[in-house]
Amino acid sequence: MKKLLLVEDNEMNRDMLSRRLERRGYHVVIAVDGEQGITAAKEHRPDLILMDMSLPVLDGWESTRRLKQEPDTQAIPVLALTAHAMAGERDKAIAAGCNDYDTKPVDFVRLLGKIESLLPA
Amino acid sequence: MHATATSHEFEGATEATYRSIVEHAIEGIFQTTPDGQYLLANPALAEIYGYDSTDELKGNVQEIARQLYVDPARRPEFIRLMNENDCVWGFESQIYRKDGSVIWISENVRVIRGTNGEVRYYEGTVEDITARKRAEEELRRAKEAAEEASRSKSQFLANMSHELRTPLNAIIGYSELMREEAEDIGLPSFVRDLGKIESAGKHLLGLINGVLDIAKIEAGKMDLHAETFDVAKMIEEVCATVAPVVEKNGNYFQIKAAPNLGAMHTDLTKVRQSLFNLLGNAGKFTREGRVQLEAERITDGGRDWLVFHVRDTGVGMTPEQARKIFEAFTQADASTTRKFGGTGLGLAITREFSRLIGGDVIVQSALGQGSVFTLRVPAELSSTPIEEGTVASGATSAGAVAGEFPLGAPQVLLIDDDPTVHELVRRFLQKEGIQVVDAYTGAEGLEMARQLRPSMVVLDVMMPTMDGWSVLTKLKGDAELSDIPVVMLTMVNNREMGFSLGVDDYMLKPIDRSDFVSTLRKYCNRQDKPLVLVVEDDLVTRDMLRASLEKEEFIVVEAGNGLEGLEKLATTRPALILLDLMMPEMDGFQFTREVRSRPEWRDIPILVMTAKDIDAEDRALLDGQVSRILQKGACAREELLAEISQRLTRTARPVETVAAA
Repeated sequence: MKKLLLVEDNEMNRDMLSRRLERRGYHVVIAVDGEQGITAAKEHRPDLILMDMSLPVLDGWESTRRLKQEPDTQAIPVLALTAHAMAGERDKAIAAGCNDYDTKPVDFVRLLGKIESLLPA
Repeated sequence: MHATATSHEFEGATEATYRSIVEHAIEGIFQTTPDGQYLLANPALAEIYGYDSTDELKGNVQEIARQLYVDPARRPEFIRLMNENDCVWGFESQIYRKDGSVIWISENVRVIRGTNGEVRYYEGTVEDITARKRAEEELRRAKEAAEEASRSKSQFLANMSHELRTPLNAIIGYSELMREEAEDIGLPSFVRDLGKIESAGKHLLGLINGVLDIAKIEAGKMDLHAETFDVAKMIEEVCATVAPVVEKNGNYFQIKAAPNLGAMHTDLTKVRQSLFNLLGNAGKFTREGRVQLEAERITDGGRDWLVFHVRDTGVGMTPEQARKIFEAFTQADASTTRKFGGTGLGLAITREFSRLIGGDVIVQSALGQGSVFTLRVPAELSSTPIEEGTVASGATSAGAVAGEFPLGAPQVLLIDDDPTVHELVRRFLQKEGIQVVDAYTGAEGLEMARQLRPSMVVLDVMMPTMDGWSVLTKLKGDAELSDIPVVMLTMVNNREMGFSLGVDDYMLKPIDRSDFVSTLRKYCNRQDKPLVLVVEDDLVTRDMLRASLEKEEFIVVEAGNGLEGLEKLATTRPALILLDLMMPEMDGFQFTREVRSRPEWRDIPILVMTAKDIDAEDRALLDGQVSRILQKGACAREELLAEISQRLTRTARPVETVAAA
């Protein structure tokens, strides 16, 4: 079973996304801010990280930058989630080291497609 | 002043006159020394500066630079300008009056120099412009306040839209989640209701996204992100996404992409969204009709443009509605929203997007006749914003000059009072090598027809003074002009009237470019190209046949069933008829009987193309009546074309069935 780390501060979004991902057969680990996200990534070694960008404590851009610098976590694909459907947002996420990007509200089918294409075979 | 008027009396009178002018002038008049003292001041100047008399002013003000000007740098600036130019005009400054209050003045001054060129004094006039300045200032403040209010409103909307999306995210997400769970545990009524919540949520999200886009554009926060992409691939993706929406109302969705579209370097999301909006709209407002996307690349004004036409056969708009259609929060009318849904923001956003990337979008439409939206976008996003009107003037420059056409090129006389129709027709026909001659009234049109003997006439109905029907009657009643083909191009849907008066074809506005061009080509080149009548109810097949035949230089006339086919035969004489058998209203069997019963049509070859399995009975019905029966799908395009070419030189013969490779 593939393991996903979901870093999201909004409780409803976290609950909803994790439940829907679990229904699709993923094992989902949760973190509620960037710092927890980095800790969880080191501890659980997920196959992929779903990263909200506007996070408390440490935001998603900075968290991704740090994950991509650490030897044990840099290979884990990071999929950025932002609330802004603007071109600049995508560039910002990619510049921080994210492997792909999707906008919220989440189009679940599209998100699943992106997750599947990023997951190592 | 006259040279001889030098008598002493006259000079005395002149001085008195000048003194009077200075004393009674409304403007302040002065002479000052370079070091800032008054040599002369008139009462008006004293009054402007708040002094009781000129003496009081001259006595009190000894140092103009410091005592009068609010900004002490004004006087040195004044002197600098005087040294450079010998005069100043409209030199505006703030001045202290005697009581310390501040006013605005404007000075016109010149320098008076001595024989060695040294400055003797300055002389000039002063005008109190305080009231004007105040009004300007108020205007500026009001404008700034209004802009600020608008910006903060847009900023608020942008923020608010984001806040609205967050809970909506939860509503949509949870309803999807619960619908899936309800499916798993077998609760069909829950599934239905949850599906409704989900779709209402998505609809609301669409509205909010629209409002967000408009707010961002108005707040000047819509960023552009240019990237290079393949146009054909982009069209393919857009069409794949939008196809379900377009086809939902039983519409046939057709894409015509020119082979040379190439690449664009611009904001992909803006182009994609614009096309998506236009196509989605076309699908929404059309039922059981046709939605067509045509894309071409053109060069205009020294740069490359991508031009996208979105045509539909839907409800259309009145000119009044078409004018308002691109304004935000406006649909054609309020009932539109109830009937067709939508935000009324899509077209406003499309226009804003297309202008942001240097293009524009225009519409051509008539109520009940469908619409054509044309989106023009520069292939390269320019770093400098495009001035408004560039697109329109670019379009004008595409207009033809008569000299560009070779001698003997087909000439179309267009009689229409609407200059925009002339513009469009010219653009459409220029590429075809067809010259357009313009007449804006019926009388002018008749005169030109007599003079020029054009290849054909394109005629509007509703024109002032002499309407199209009168022009048509006169054309057809004149033995010298009666054989010039006339095509009506009008908003008036009265084909019967047209045909009874002798028109050769009847086309409705808005102009559908491809229909229009192929119709005109038919009449302009009718001597050398054979005409094929295609009687087929399936739009896809018909379009395909038209495309294949036109490529082979045939002129195609279409009919959707047997009855329409007979109507076409009444006005055109095809060299061959391509006939489907299974059609509504009048099928191919009956059509064949009707055609063969008329002596004048008896020798027109008929090729039957059918998907029907032909049995002995069918064969008996058609035997001797049609030239050949081809099985649809079994017959290759080349074979069909070869068959047609062959038939065009022969007469009818017994039936044989081909089931070709």
